[in-house]
Amino acid sequence: MVRSKREAKKQYAFETGLSRRDFIVRSGALGLLLSVKPELSWGSEEGFSLTTRPKGFDVINRAIIESVQQHLFPDDGDGPSAKELNAYRYLLWAMEDPDNRADEDRQFILQGAAWLEDWADTQTGRSFLVLSWDEQEALLQEIAKSRAGENWLSLLLYYLIEALMLDPLYGGNPDEIGWRWLEHQPGFPRPVPGKSYLDF
Amino acid sequence: MGLAAKGEAQAPQQFEVCIVGSGAGAGPIAYELAKAGIKVVVLEKGDWYTEQDFVKDEQLPRHRVFRSQFDEERHVLELPDGEGGWRRETTAQFWGGNIVGGASNFMSGYFHRLKPSDFRLASTFGPIPGANTVDWPISYEELEPYYAKVEQIVGVSGRVVKHPRLEPRSTRDYPFPPTAEHPIAARFDNACQTLKLHPLPMARAILSRPFKQRLSCEYSGYCGSYGCHSGAKGSSRAALLNDAVASGNCRIITRAKVYRLNSDAQGRVSSADYFDASGKSRRIVANIFVVACYAIESARLLLASTGEKHPKGIGNRHDQLGKNLHCCAGGTGHGVFKLDKLPLETAKGLKQRGPFFNRALQDWYVIDDKTAFDKPVKGGTLDFVFDPPAPTSEANALKWQEGNLLWGTPLKQKLKAHFTQSRDFKFEVFCDWLTNDDCYVTLDDEEQDKWGQPVARVRAGFHPHDLKVAQYLVDRGVEVMKAMGADEAWGNVFSDPTANLVAGGCRFGKDPQTSVLNPDCRVHDCDNLYVTDGSFMPNGGSVTPTLTIYANAFRVADKLLERLTKD
Repeated sequence: MVRSKREAKKQYAFETGLSRRDFIVRSGALGLLLSVKPELSWGSEEGFSLTTRPKGFDVINRAIIESVQQHLFPDDGDGPSAKELNAYRYLLWAMEDPDNRADEDRQFILQGAAWLEDWADTQTGRSFLVLSWDEQEALLQEIAKSRAGENWLSLLLYYLIEALMLDPLYGGNPDEIGWRWLEHQPGFPRPVPGKSYLDF
Repeated sequence: MGLAAKGEAQAPQQFEVCIVGSGAGAGPIAYELAKAGIKVVVLEKGDWYTEQDFVKDEQLPRHRVFRSQFDEERHVLELPDGEGGWRRETTAQFWGGNIVGGASNFMSGYFHRLKPSDFRLASTFGPIPGANTVDWPISYEELEPYYAKVEQIVGVSGRVVKHPRLEPRSTRDYPFPPTAEHPIAARFDNACQTLKLHPLPMARAILSRPFKQRLSCEYSGYCGSYGCHSGAKGSSRAALLNDAVASGNCRIITRAKVYRLNSDAQGRVSSADYFDASGKSRRIVANIFVVACYAIESARLLLASTGEKHPKGIGNRHDQLGKNLHCCAGGTGHGVFKLDKLPLETAKGLKQRGPFFNRALQDWYVIDDKTAFDKPVKGGTLDFVFDPPAPTSEANALKWQEGNLLWGTPLKQKLKAHFTQSRDFKFEVFCDWLTNDDCYVTLDDEEQDKWGQPVARVRAGFHPHDLKVAQYLVDRGVEVMKAMGADEAWGNVFSDPTANLVAGGCRFGKDPQTSVLNPDCRVHDCDNLYVTDGSFMPNGGSVTPTLTIYANAFRVADKLLERLTKD
């Protein structure tokens, strides 16, 4: 689940770029996070099962993640923002994908949000959500210096970029807004309901 | 074995010929025999999909939808650890296509023939210490009619041009005209002429005109790695198996994982045991068996098929089974063109997606350059291609900048520049992966697949000579990219196995002491077992091997027809 900066192995066209995960290190995210920032705790380490899902992505976590996504892909006047890409809704959908579930991405993303909130509290005495844009950005730059923080942001970007580039069938890239911005020409025929990758 | 015992209790089904696998090595056998009225069964581990299923969705290859999943089936791979030892990992990279038609559904279909010297590598270039190079037991001339046959039946498009390395041909040209070409091809031709090279239009197993029930190419630009929606790509499924089934003499049993061939007291194969979709063991009885389930898996199946006369596996009397496996040595390179530096019309042309680059260079198929090698050595082919579109992976890779994570406006601007202001053209170098004692398949002692069968362990040792040849060719490719006006050009060689281009392991030859198969691709000491995928190849040639696998399987089909009609 945790991505390292190890470059993907590039070979012939048949294999290039088409593996889902380019950056994988086989180690538990929680263990890695704790080993990097042992002084931090994030409260309850409850398991995340389907029954606890609504609690997991509750209104606070949603607000934190949406704010971070907007920093990762801002509304800067050139190209769609995370919000315009439906990045949060896409993320929630992707968390149910069997491969992503197997990678425990859901748990890592929630743990990271809790960590960020803890870190904001430790550093500023306030919630991440009430900080100014610049203060939030400074915190994100700070956590990116740790391996765990960078991995968390990288994972959010991974799904954000899926929301930018995958077929709108999957919930991101509405009206091909990402493709139009990047002048990407999709193939044809395009996937339709009943012929998504989950239907095979 | 308990599961096999269950199989024995089932009433076995009987056929004249049983084929294990349905890819490029299997299709020609099924096609030719079924058309001749012989009852054939094909056992395929995957499902049967049709053109309608092949939508152009990046999520299909990203999630390995038509390939075996890592948690169900994997290989153990041993790679050099750089300190004289081996590091062990498990991988799913060698599964090319868990589907009727196998990996041929997803090939790019670069259909170069081998050249006469590839059939006599040892006698042409002499021995290389540490390499197990041998001559083939057949000549180019014996295979040539079958190359021509594949070009006609599977459907190969292209244009023959005279050049110093052109192999002898019995037909003047390809049966189908070239597919539509991308504007970059003209730029390539001009650059090559400046460099006094011979740019070649590349033959492709892609129909440029409709043929039988298959439509011609739709130019969606999503070709290699993707299934073909029009049927233009010459997969074993689209080009051969559909016709075989239509003859009424070929039955394809899907989701049938063959795990053992049973042999009798005389050493002949009597039946094949497979697990069906529900995991039950079932049995097929036939007079002749043909194994073609990809080089690594064919060796694995024969190794696992021990019997009274074959205590070390069928074809392993002289410990040759699984040996002399080879991949494709080589490398890749890129030329990036900055579009904002070009006239608008030129930039627009370069951005086009759909038509093919379709150019190759074989000027260095033999390298005769004293500054690099003290005598002529076998070189290779440079194919100039487009990567299969993978925009999500491509974009995701851009989030790293000098090892640090990039986000916000800087990331957005980088993405925009990459996708809208530049175009990346690629070349791939193919040269021989010299066979050696450290490249082979065995059964693993620990790892098992989901059916409880030992998986194949692949040791993938390479010969350092391969890297020297590959570097020489990569350097030439970079020169061409620069001559084409690329703003950036680079390339690199690799020593990791090319997962989709593995062959050997059941080498064919005249001497049973040093080969597994006889010149007809029949196992030396097993009268009714043939292997017809890429396993037979003593060396891969310096091209992708699929065309040669097809051609050889058509050749073996003729041997089988001769035998079966005589009986």
